[in-house]
Amino acid sequence: MKRFDCLGKIAKAASDALVVTSAGAVTLEWNALRPSDGNFRVRTLGLCSSIALGMALGLPQRKVIALDGDGSLLMNLCSLPTMARMEPKNLVHIVFDNEVYEASGSKQTATATGTDLVGMARAAGIRQALWTHSVDEFAGVAMEALNGHELFFIGAKVTTERTAVPPYPMDEVENKYRFIRHVEKTEKIAILKTNLPSSYT
Amino acid sequence: MTAEDAARTIFNGLKAAGINLIATLPDINLAQLLHEVEVDCDVIHVPLCREEEGIGICAGAYLVGKKCAAIMQNGGFFNSNNAIVTTLLQYHIPLLLLIYYAGDIGDRTFSTSGGMTEPVLQALGIRHYVMREPSDAPELIKRAQILTEDSKRPVALLLTKESLGRRASIKSQ
Repeated sequence: MKRFDCLGKIAKAASDALVVTSAGAVTLEWNALRPSDGNFRVRTLGLCSSIALGMALGLPQRKVIALDGDGSLLMNLCSLPTMARMEPKNLVHIVFDNEVYEASGSKQTATATGTDLVGMARAAGIRQALWTHSVDEFAGVAMEALNGHELFFIGAKVTTERTAVPPYPMDEVENKYRFIRHVEKTEKIAILKTNLPSSYT
Repeated sequence: MTAEDAARTIFNGLKAAGINLIATLPDINLAQLLHEVEVDCDVIHVPLCREEEGIGICAGAYLVGKKCAAIMQNGGFFNSNNAIVTTLLQYHIPLLLLIYYAGDIGDRTFSTSGGMTEPVLQALGIRHYVMREPSDAPELIKRAQILTEDSKRPVALLLTKESLGRRASIKSQ
């Protein structure tokens, strides 16, 4: 399976979901398929799942999707029991497992020698945790997760095949502000507040 | 002030400052404060497995409009360093850190952690304030929250045993 093909299957169905992408090429691929200020790029390896969890808890009425990788999740395995414990029904955690640290010279991760991330998610207490074995199967399960209201963990073993996509168009701080303004606009809430200086009042 | 009263004072200070999501990892000295967090119906409580994930959770929640606090021991703060640097500092994301000060003057067993706490906070550029009186909590928390939101940087309050009602203040003796 190619990660880009899997992402292509959910780009439209993701609709207005907030999407958190892990550090790595998954960010570039996703942003090529669904450019949006509702996309947030993570720079701390491992924190994709935790940041997505925080968003899901903060906005329970909004769908949140985490597009994670094996190297990332292995670094933050404890996010799985915490996610299971909080059980946000609006969160879909997808892991594209290419068995390598893609951005670090493609050295193997532990999933290359048998560590099963779906098994870990299930053992952590996430009920809906499953592997998908083809792009169509992935699409079917992802659609069920996106249309439903239940915490889902979806694993997909993908190749290391690269896709030519443009670079990420902005830095972290711009991403943050655009993302927050997007949430403000689409949820009709105020997050960033400014104050009039006392010299003006 | 008893530990229960101190915990209530601190927790009420957090609520008065608008905090509505609190990520926690226990320490025996935080027991009463964590109890207040647990029984409150309004604040979203996220009990953590590791403090580092709490940084991510609070960052995500901030991005969708929550006002967050993370309560942990200084060992947990050390655990969180990469998340603090490459998420909070890199993205200019505020967070109120309530850090129990293990290894403070007069404590046994944790003097290495205690000795490293303020230097590491300083090295990370995190403005930090040591709380000694529980009665200071509401105003200190309010000011710390203003500072973190305004500067878009994490701000730390170091909770000493005295501030948690677990040891009498020097003044009172």
